[in-house]
Amino acid sequence: MHELVQAIILGILVGGIYALMASGLTLVFGIMKVINVAQGALVILAAYLSYALFSHLHIDPFLSILIVTPAMFVLGVAVQLVFVRSLRGPDGSELSLLVTWALALGIEGVLSVIFKTNFRVTSPSYADNSWSIFGYQVSEVRVLAFVASAVLLLALSLLLTRTRFGRAVRATVQNPTAATLLGVDANRVQTLSFGLGVSMAAAAGAVYGVIYPFNPGSHYDLISRLLSIVVLGGLGSLGGAVFAALAMGVIEAIVAVKISPVWSSFSFFVVLITFLLVRPQGIFGVRERVL
Amino acid sequence: MTRKTLARLAALSGAAALAAVVAAAGSAAPTKGSAGPIKIGISLSLSGDFSDPGKFAQQGYKLWANTVNAKGGILGRKVQLIIQDDASSPTQAATNYQNFITKNKVDLVFGPFSTLLTAPSAAVANRYGYAFIEPAGGGPAVFDQKLHNVFFTQPAPVVESGDVFAKWIISLPKSVRPKTAAYPALDDPFSSPIADRMRGMLEKAGIKTVYKTIYASETVDMTPIISKIAAAKPDLVVGGTQAGDGYSIVKAMVQAKFSPKFLFLSNGPNSPGEFPSKVGAKNVNGIFSASDWFPQAKTPGNPAFVKAYLKAYGGTAAAIDPGSAEAYAVGQVVEALAARIHSIDNKKVIAALHSGTWPTVEGTLHWNAIGEPQGQELLMEWQGGKLNPVLPAGVATSKPTYPKPGWGK
Repeated sequence: MHELVQAIILGILVGGIYALMASGLTLVFGIMKVINVAQGALVILAAYLSYALFSHLHIDPFLSILIVTPAMFVLGVAVQLVFVRSLRGPDGSELSLLVTWALALGIEGVLSVIFKTNFRVTSPSYADNSWSIFGYQVSEVRVLAFVASAVLLLALSLLLTRTRFGRAVRATVQNPTAATLLGVDANRVQTLSFGLGVSMAAAAGAVYGVIYPFNPGSHYDLISRLLSIVVLGGLGSLGGAVFAALAMGVIEAIVAVKISPVWSSFSFFVVLITFLLVRPQGIFGVRERVL
Repeated sequence: MTRKTLARLAALSGAAALAAVVAAAGSAAPTKGSAGPIKIGISLSLSGDFSDPGKFAQQGYKLWANTVNAKGGILGRKVQLIIQDDASSPTQAATNYQNFITKNKVDLVFGPFSTLLTAPSAAVANRYGYAFIEPAGGGPAVFDQKLHNVFFTQPAPVVESGDVFAKWIISLPKSVRPKTAAYPALDDPFSSPIADRMRGMLEKAGIKTVYKTIYASETVDMTPIISKIAAAKPDLVVGGTQAGDGYSIVKAMVQAKFSPKFLFLSNGPNSPGEFPSKVGAKNVNGIFSASDWFPQAKTPGNPAFVKAYLKAYGGTAAAIDPGSAEAYAVGQVVEALAARIHSIDNKKVIAALHSGTWPTVEGTLHWNAIGEPQGQELLMEWQGGKLNPVLPAGVATSKPTYPKPGWGK
């Protein structure tokens, strides 16, 4: 029982960070039907930026979120304007896969040249601390990372539900043509949302580097997980992504402890496939109607 | 057949003829002779996944070539290295060796980085009767081919990396010897076989296995595994690890406040320049690992190698990667060969290397019929913030200590 509870605690804490990474991916898909497979590479890029700020300027990695996130927002906007915006027409989604994949490989290449392929870890002085709560070990940085993720996800949710920009975003998700007719500047919404999606990756990357060793190739594992999360959650659904990320964290941790770590990654895919057979649109996704 | 198709066929056959002429000219041009420099072909991973270790090997090879050329070369001829990038691809490495032998007509070939690239490359060299003296292909995939042209310039095959530690544990008095052990290992041909072999030795000596598992390479989070191990409270933890997972295991143990009496990780702690920054400098003491070389070693030519390395590349002796020493050792073997048999003919080289002992910075090496070195790896332990060789006794600079101090001590 002790093991199980410990696994659930770990799973939830890890799931929170994945939720933040996946939120950007699902948001971008919802708005412009672009599957940004560079999301994992952008997370790793942000992890390196935060690492560089910490090791050269001694800026705390959690504080560096305030620097890395706006910087990566600008990068996201630039990427959308230069590479993604021109991909229109019926093949736009497929082409965006190729373009964002090229972006991922480009980021990996640049990071390999600058930082080499060694593993890095951002290690602030409190990185090793943990609390003992009723006999359970809870790592301080993981709790901090979870809290930071939760705050950012809440802020994103408020932005989407309580602001004029958020209304425009949601209108564009539901019906881009109608939104444009009602005066929503779809181009602007798409560009800003892409930037927002990338900045979510950035915030997640800053905390990712504190918890896991990373190198430029770490994005391959990340993107496969993130894609599974957004598919399980329902493409375009923020709530779905959060739920699926938490589910992934908990399922993997329980299987690792109760069965074997060999099956922990696989177990999530079993749940994903089983679920998609029953509910192809994902947990929170809406079945598309063909007129 | 339309006119267009005919035209295409004509163009194709023309191109084929041209290619044949170019190939014939290419193969006829350089001829192998005793005049001119000794040409040595080396495929190295200068880009891609192994670009860092590939560059360390390149440093070692170049340093050896410069050193030997400064002394007048080998058999009165200068040494010329022909280095081609293989982008960390086994196929490209094999192609490079094919080209070195058939097009560049090199006199000798030296090995690339890692078992993954060495196995197919050694097979190519074997097909053409070339000796394959190699610094970094120590995994079973190389030796399972049972080739007689392979000579691995490290003290022992990778799978035996943990033997010295296991034997030391068994040699401890019963009162302090660990009674229980846990074995987490990466699902990788260089990692889990080491842990399996050590488990076999330790179980035979009566040390009870309380937990064992393998984890996939995509496992980034070691916390669930460590929480399971911590619950089993083993005296000894043996990890069959590579770098990243090794760091994660230590970090997870620190956070779980679980410090076993003995901790051995096959890789990760053996990188003196990397390990402290990854797990925290205050958490390294008492951790054991395996290595094939260390800067202070009194092995043949090592002080000169370290001196020349620092002069050529700068930095500190502690930061020299063993990968450079391994590559340098390949050159030393050839130098010793030339002095002993006065020839670099591949047939004679292969025959000569199957007997006798060969002095290198990696130790004095000798091989069995399939190129496995017959020595033993070094057991390294972090002591007072430094990575020291603690066994075998002849080369150790200090004695192994136990039990491991708690984290942060």
